[in-house]
Amino acid sequence: MKPLRNRRIGIFFFVAAVVALSGSSVRPQTNAPAAPAAKSAPAKTSTPASPAAKPAAAALGSKTLGSKSAPITMEVFEDFQCPACGSFYETSLKLFIDNYVNTGKVYLIHRDFPLDMHPYARQAARLANAAADLGQFETVERALFDSQNQWSARGNIEEVIASSVPPAQLKKIRDYEAAHINEINASIERDRAMGVQRNVNQTPTIYVTAHGKTEGLPGGGVDYKLLSGYIEYLLRQ
Amino acid sequence: MATTSAVVSETQPQTRAWPRVLLALGRVVLGAIFLYAAYAKLHFNGSWHLRDYYFFFGMAINSYNLLPLWAVELLSRFMPWFELALGFFLVIGIGLRLTSLIASALLLVFIAAMTRAYILGLEIVCGCFGNTEKLGPWTLTRDSSMLVLALAVALGAFLINRRRTAVSS
Repeated sequence: MKPLRNRRIGIFFFVAAVVALSGSSVRPQTNAPAAPAAKSAPAKTSTPASPAAKPAAAALGSKTLGSKSAPITMEVFEDFQCPACGSFYETSLKLFIDNYVNTGKVYLIHRDFPLDMHPYARQAARLANAAADLGQFETVERALFDSQNQWSARGNIEEVIASSVPPAQLKKIRDYEAAHINEINASIERDRAMGVQRNVNQTPTIYVTAHGKTEGLPGGGVDYKLLSGYIEYLLRQ
Repeated sequence: MATTSAVVSETQPQTRAWPRVLLALGRVVLGAIFLYAAYAKLHFNGSWHLRDYYFFFGMAINSYNLLPLWAVELLSRFMPWFELALGFFLVIGIGLRLTSLIASALLLVFIAAMTRAYILGLEIVCGCFGNTEKLGPWTLTRDSSMLVLALAVALGAFLINRRRTAVSS
């Protein structure tokens, strides 16, 4: 009888402890703005921007989007040929740019982290860097990720993205890349070295800086709703 | 008096100390692993995350592409505390048969999810001990060893209890 009673008491305390501890972390959530795709895996199509959203202001010569004075800075270490990066861009980042970057809440920084296993990742990164120097980063980044599976096999990047980037613009970017190849390679290497220093071992890897503190998110891409939930939490602090 | 105790020791099954010592050692090690797993989910990047841990852990769980988002959110809030309580009860040794069975079942589920993700080639973090450890053969081997330990503790707890019941009856 006594062991049975002891066991019941043990089970009671076990359940009570778990419920009490997990319950203490439950806080009311405020609504994340525009989470139309309130599901775990939004469709792999571009989601419409909110009507009020303006194009992200890309600083000339930088791989950034949004306002530098935004309360939150998000750095994304990416490889243009990595499928997880492509998926993250299509399902989360596009919507995130519309709702948080274009609205001045988040300053988004792209960091190059081309992986050795992807033979055309550096070629794509060079094109994106050249575009960034010409203030065209967002257009080229979008074109690269939108058509990733088309150029990934053969590396015919320019041929594939020609449908998304006007020919004159593309020629300008290509000429700029050829003329500044050393600086561009150095810029990619700087980003990569920064990633290595931060122990980045997969892409995409995201770092969020808010209230003077930088946190690394689990690598491999993040669902939009979870990411927006975290950003909303930071904005509430 | 001496005669009576001699008769009793002859009729009762002989009980050795080492199975109990091994069991105690096993449950303490297993409990400590669960306590550390809970700690790593609540304390990372150099500070405690008691109010926002579930965002990070939720992202790790969601990367397995196994559960709907509501389940991910629920599990991410609940699991570290569950592991903490489980580790605590294993270390103290209360309800050992039940807690060791729960630990075994939990580890079995974790290993199944990890194996599936590994076979599918998902490049994700394990989420077992914090947010930085990449899923791979090492994490699978380690968790499998933990499962063996949990099963051994469960088996030991049941055997010792059976022996104790036999002695008392």
